[in-house]
Amino acid sequence: MRLFSWWLRRALSAVVTLFLVSILIFAASRLMPGGFAEVVLGPFASPEQKAEVSARYGLDQNILVQYWLWLTTALTGDFGISMISGEPVTTEFGLRLPVTAELTVAGFAAAICLGVPLGVYTAVRAGRGRTAAVGRLASGLGVSVPEFVLGSIVVFLFSRFALGLTVGGYVPLSEDPGQNLRSMVLPAAVLSVFVIAVTARTTRDAVLTVLVEPYITAAIARGESPWFIVTRHVLRNASIPVVTVLSTITAYLLGGAVIIEYLFNLPGVGSYIVQAVGRRDYAVVQAGVLLAAVVFIVLNTLTDAAAGALDPRFGTGSKARRSR
Amino acid sequence: MSWWHRTDWLTRAGLLCLAVLVLGTVVATVFGIGGDPEAMVGPRLAPPGGDYPLGTDQLGRSMLPRLFEGIGTTLLLSTVAVLVTAVIATLLGIAAGYWGGWLGEVVMRLVEVLYSFPTIVLAILVAAVVGPGQTATVCSIILITIPLMTRLVRAAAIIVAQRDYVTSAVISGAGWPRILFRHVLPNISGTIAVQGTYALSVGILVEGGLSFLGFGVQPPQSSLGALIQQGSTYLIAAPWLVIVPGIVLVVAILAINVFGDGLRDSLEPREARSLV
Repeated sequence: MRLFSWWLRRALSAVVTLFLVSILIFAASRLMPGGFAEVVLGPFASPEQKAEVSARYGLDQNILVQYWLWLTTALTGDFGISMISGEPVTTEFGLRLPVTAELTVAGFAAAICLGVPLGVYTAVRAGRGRTAAVGRLASGLGVSVPEFVLGSIVVFLFSRFALGLTVGGYVPLSEDPGQNLRSMVLPAAVLSVFVIAVTARTTRDAVLTVLVEPYITAAIARGESPWFIVTRHVLRNASIPVVTVLSTITAYLLGGAVIIEYLFNLPGVGSYIVQAVGRRDYAVVQAGVLLAAVVFIVLNTLTDAAAGALDPRFGTGSKARRSR
Repeated sequence: MSWWHRTDWLTRAGLLCLAVLVLGTVVATVFGIGGDPEAMVGPRLAPPGGDYPLGTDQLGRSMLPRLFEGIGTTLLLSTVAVLVTAVIATLLGIAAGYWGGWLGEVVMRLVEVLYSFPTIVLAILVAAVVGPGQTATVCSIILITIPLMTRLVRAAAIIVAQRDYVTSAVISGAGWPRILFRHVLPNISGTIAVQGTYALSVGILVEGGLSFLGFGVQPPQSSLGALIQQGSTYLIAAPWLVIVPGIVLVVAILAINVFGDGLRDSLEPREARSLV
């Protein structure tokens, strides 16, 4: 019952947040100077032509009416049509989702397979001192190299010295898996550096916090092996910050790795939204940002639920928490 | 023992690096080292060396003064934005943490709304609304850094608000301005400083990303992101146009992050243990 009321409360607050996001995004898209008609018709269009285009897309109606129409149809899953291509917005996003999904899967896999073990290893090997400082410097470097710097350098190296992997030239996975992988390796690698470093840093911090707990002292005193202590005691107790950072990373990747897509010329969700902002393609901008916010909020809620499952004292309003 | 004595060599190196960057840029700007950043003096895309220590760009402008101008712009815009963020986030966070209730609920809801926008998309929306340029850059950095900082200030304020010295101040009849500014604020200043440091590195990243996509600082003014963006067109012919500002950008962010880590560790010392 308590769990049910927790979910109910979270769902309500998610609805309120999404409602506010929808207002903000609608307001922002209409506050952009130079409306859709100006962008589409160019600078030499007559006022009559502009009025005609605006009327065709319902842009001449009262702004509140427009918002209401958009919100109510969006709730039925219909986000309207792209005013540039005339295709439904959902179809347009469907075309670009594979790129974003591939990058997300690659980044997530890198975070779990490399970031987490790296974080655990550096924490377990070194508490403080010189080795710790080196570890700090290395993971700090990973977080500090912006995607567009690393990406530019990778693009330069691979296009200057024909190193075997193609820069750009994206081919859908369904058409030619081999060619697709060849074009996705570099963007995925550039993206992974940051993702791995963030995960490793968070994991390392969490493990260091757990390692000084009395139950670890007790485990060491019982003569348990380091491997056993890590897998049995440390991982579970250090998992909440790690799960949180993994979910943040996933939300960030699903929202579109704009800069990576731009650098490697990939048709993903992020660069599509940015393009739509430039063309004042309102329906696409609104749907894109709203969906990204939905993904973010859903992942956030799931993370909190997972945290509650991993540690009963956490968040979901269980008995242990209340009696404290 | 002051916090300086509790920091390690890496933290001090980070701070030193930052000081060198800031002082170097100030000195170079004041004394005009390298000449006018916007004067087209040399051959186009000349490699580093001779009269042009860092080469020239596609319009024959010497890269050395442009780099100094770029560092100055980037650091200045990020610092201004982070100061604004710090003030707003501190006020909102303390209010939400100390009073809680409906006020806390409203603040956290607004923060959550900002948090759910993808960062670069949020920055580009801001740039589209206010027009690309410095204002857009500063506004985006503020909007992107406010959510996390407000949350952490609130979390710290909640803990401090339950401390005995706050309770005794309330009992002895102190008004809320006195409690907030004499008791709560000083005790969460560590959190604010550490988060401000991290926000500064995020700010530099956002400035870079936004300028790289063409929505940030506009030519002829240079910033680190704008330099990399302009250089990336000539990446194959003149890699130094990207590599030099790229390295400076990485060093600046790294120095700030390392300093932030050290600051945090010295303000909240923890025990540590090696398992192996």
